[in-house]
Amino acid sequence: MTDDADLDVRLPDAAALTRALDEQDYLTDLGLATALFLAARLRQPLLLEGEPGVGKTEAAKALARVLDTPLFRLQCYEGIDAGEALYEWNYPRQLLGIRLAEAHDTSLEQAELFGPDYLLRRPLLQAIEHPGPRPAVLLLDEIDRADAEFEAYTYELLAESTVTIPELGTIRATHPPVVVLTSNRTRDLHDALKRRCLYHWIDYPSPRQAAEIVRRRVPRSAEPLAVGAADAVARLRSLDMEKPPGIAETIDWVSALTLLGVQRLDADAAAATLGSIVKGRDDLDLVRTRGLSWLAGASHA
Amino acid sequence: MREDPASIVPLELAVGLTTLLHQGGVPVTPERAARFAEALPLAPPYGRQQLYWTARVTLVSDRSQLAVFDALFAAVFDGRLDPSDSRGDPTAPPAIGSEPRERPAARDNRPVGGPGDLPEPTPRVASPGAEHADEDGPEREAVLAAASTDERLRETSFADLDPEDVAGMRRLVRRLVLSTPLRRTRRSQPLHHAGERLDMRRTVRAAQRTAGDPAHLVYRRRRRRPRQLVLLCDVSGSMEPYTRVFLSLLQGAVTGAGAEAFVFSTRLTRLTRQLSLRDPDQALTRAGATAPDWAGGTRLADSLHRFLDSYGRRGLARGAVVVILSDGWAQDDPELVSAQMARLRLLAHRIVWVNPRKAARGYAPLVGGMAAALPYCDAFVSGHSLAALEEVVAAVGADDSWHDERKS
Repeated sequence: MTDDADLDVRLPDAAALTRALDEQDYLTDLGLATALFLAARLRQPLLLEGEPGVGKTEAAKALARVLDTPLFRLQCYEGIDAGEALYEWNYPRQLLGIRLAEAHDTSLEQAELFGPDYLLRRPLLQAIEHPGPRPAVLLLDEIDRADAEFEAYTYELLAESTVTIPELGTIRATHPPVVVLTSNRTRDLHDALKRRCLYHWIDYPSPRQAAEIVRRRVPRSAEPLAVGAADAVARLRSLDMEKPPGIAETIDWVSALTLLGVQRLDADAAAATLGSIVKGRDDLDLVRTRGLSWLAGASHA
Repeated sequence: MREDPASIVPLELAVGLTTLLHQGGVPVTPERAARFAEALPLAPPYGRQQLYWTARVTLVSDRSQLAVFDALFAAVFDGRLDPSDSRGDPTAPPAIGSEPRERPAARDNRPVGGPGDLPEPTPRVASPGAEHADEDGPEREAVLAAASTDERLRETSFADLDPEDVAGMRRLVRRLVLSTPLRRTRRSQPLHHAGERLDMRRTVRAAQRTAGDPAHLVYRRRRRRPRQLVLLCDVSGSMEPYTRVFLSLLQGAVTGAGAEAFVFSTRLTRLTRQLSLRDPDQALTRAGATAPDWAGGTRLADSLHRFLDSYGRRGLARGAVVVILSDGWAQDDPELVSAQMARLRLLAHRIVWVNPRKAARGYAPLVGGMAAALPYCDAFVSGHSLAALEEVVAAVGADDSWHDERKS
C-alpha cells in the first residue's frame, strides 16, 4: 500500500519520531515515542494511561501533526452511544426528503433515504472514512468514562478497522486510523480491550524536562522562571495533595507568571498566582501551611 | 535496514522473555508475544533502552505489572539472571508452567472448617453434607432457605456460627440482592405514551409506513440505571469473625450488582476482579491470595485516603452508594478519619456504615474512628446476622426516589 510506504518514510524509527515530535513542540522520551511509533507502524491501538495532566491527549494531537493528518477526537462520557460516536441519521433532512419527493410526485426509495446523503458522520466514522493518503489519528479520550457496553462497541473498530451500520452494511477503512485511547483509571478496563492494545504508562516528566516543555509552550517565559516553576511543582507533588498539579497546570502557571512580568519565581509571585497551580481550598491550606517561600525554593528544607 | 541488531531472532527473544514474565506472574498472551516479535524488526534494539521500551509497550497491559516487568527485564538484560533456560528451542515443553498454580490451591484454602472437626452434632439434617455441597446445590439451598426461617439461625451473630453453618450462611448471604437507587443516564428508551422528548429515529422509521407522514410519534425518556455500588470491607484482626461471611456479601454484590469491592486493614486492595469469578470458592481463594494483610491492624483513615485518591475521586465514588463494613477500631487519629469521611461525603450519593459491634448490648459509637465517621454516614446498621444484613440491603436501596438529583 502506498500510504504505508509513505508512513515508513515519515517514521523510519522511534528516534526519528522523537525528533519529529520535538519539532512539533512536543517533548517526549524514548518510551512514549516508541509507543506512538509502534502504534502507527504496527497499526495497533495504543492505550495511554497516566496521572491527569501528563499530556496524554497532547501526545495524540502531536502525532497527528507529525503525520500531517487530521485528528478525530471523541471525548467519552458515561452514556455515550453510537449516535454520538459513530453516526446518526439526519432526521429532519429525511423528513424533508420525503416531503419533497411527495411534492414533486417522485418516489423515494428506502435505500436513498438511508443512504450516505442522509448520514451524519461522527468521529469514529470520519476516521474510518478518511480518504488518506495517510491514516487519520483517532483519539478516544478518557475511554474509562464511557460505560462497559460502549467499550465493547469499539472492539470491532479497534480490531478490524471496520464499522457496521445496519442500513448500509459494513464500512471498511481504506486507511485504518492510528487509534490512541486514554484512560484515567476510574475503572478497570475490560481485558478484551487491553488485549487489543499496546500499553504505555506516562510518568510525570523530570523537573528538567518539565522546564523544557514549559519553555516550548510558553516561549516568552524567562528560563529561570520555567526552571523555578518546574522545581516548585515537583515540590508540590511531594505534598499530600488532593489534586497534584500536572504538566498542563505548570504551563498555565508559567503563562500567568509571564503575563505578570515575573522573571524569577519568588514567594510573592507564587502567592499572587497560586490559583493557577493549586486547585481546591484544602490544597491551598496545605501549601500555605508548608510555606510559600518553601514553594518558591528559597529555603531548601 | 541497517545491520546486525535487526537480525536478532525476534521469535526466540519474544518467547524467552514472555515465558519468564509468565513465570513472574505477568499474564502475557501469545498475541502480545507475537506483537513483540513483530515490533522488534521495526524498532531494532540498538540499545538496552530501545529494547526495554519496545518490550514494555507490547508486553505489559497494566500499570500494576510494571514493577515485575522492570525487575525481570533488569534481571535478564543486566545479567543478574542466566537466561539460559529461555534460550534454545522455544517450543521446549518445560518452560510454560503457569496454569497449574491455581487449581490445587483453590480447594486447600477453602475458608470453611474441614469435614473432620465438627464440634458437636447439630440437629439439622443437611449439615454433614456441607463440604461436598457444591454439586447438590438446589436441594441443599432449599434446606438452608427453610432453615433460615428458623429464627435462631437468622438472628445468630456471624461470630457465633458453628463452622459447618458458615458454609450455608455464606451461600445465603451471597444471594442477597443489593440494589442501589436509580439515577438517570444519558441514554434513552422508547416510551409508548407522550413523554418529554421525541424519538426522531423511531418516528422517521414509523413515518415511512405512512407515506412519510409522521402520524405516529414515538417518544423517549432517559433510561434509568442503578447507581454504582462500592463496598469497602475491613479485614483486620478485630473483624475476623465477620469477614468470612462479609466476603460472600462482597462477592454476591460484585457478581450480582456489578459492585466494586475493596478490602483494607493496613493497606487497601481492590478485589473486584478476583471476586468476579463464577466459582465462589476459587474467587475467595484468589481474593485471599491478593490481599496480603488479612487480620492485621486497621488503618482506616489511610485506607480511605488511598481509596479516594486512587479510585474515588476519579469517578468510582461519584454519585455512588458506598458501603463501609468496619468496626471502626482504628489505629489512626480520629481527626484524620473525619477528614477522609468528609471527602467521601462530597463524592458519594449515600454512605452506609455496617458495624457488627453495634449489635452488642450497651454499644455506643463513642470511640475513635467510629465516632469520627458517624456524622458523615446516612445509615448506620449492624449487619452481624442474616436478619441484620437485610437491614443493610434496605439501607443500600433506600431513598429510591430518583427525584433527588441534588446530590448527583
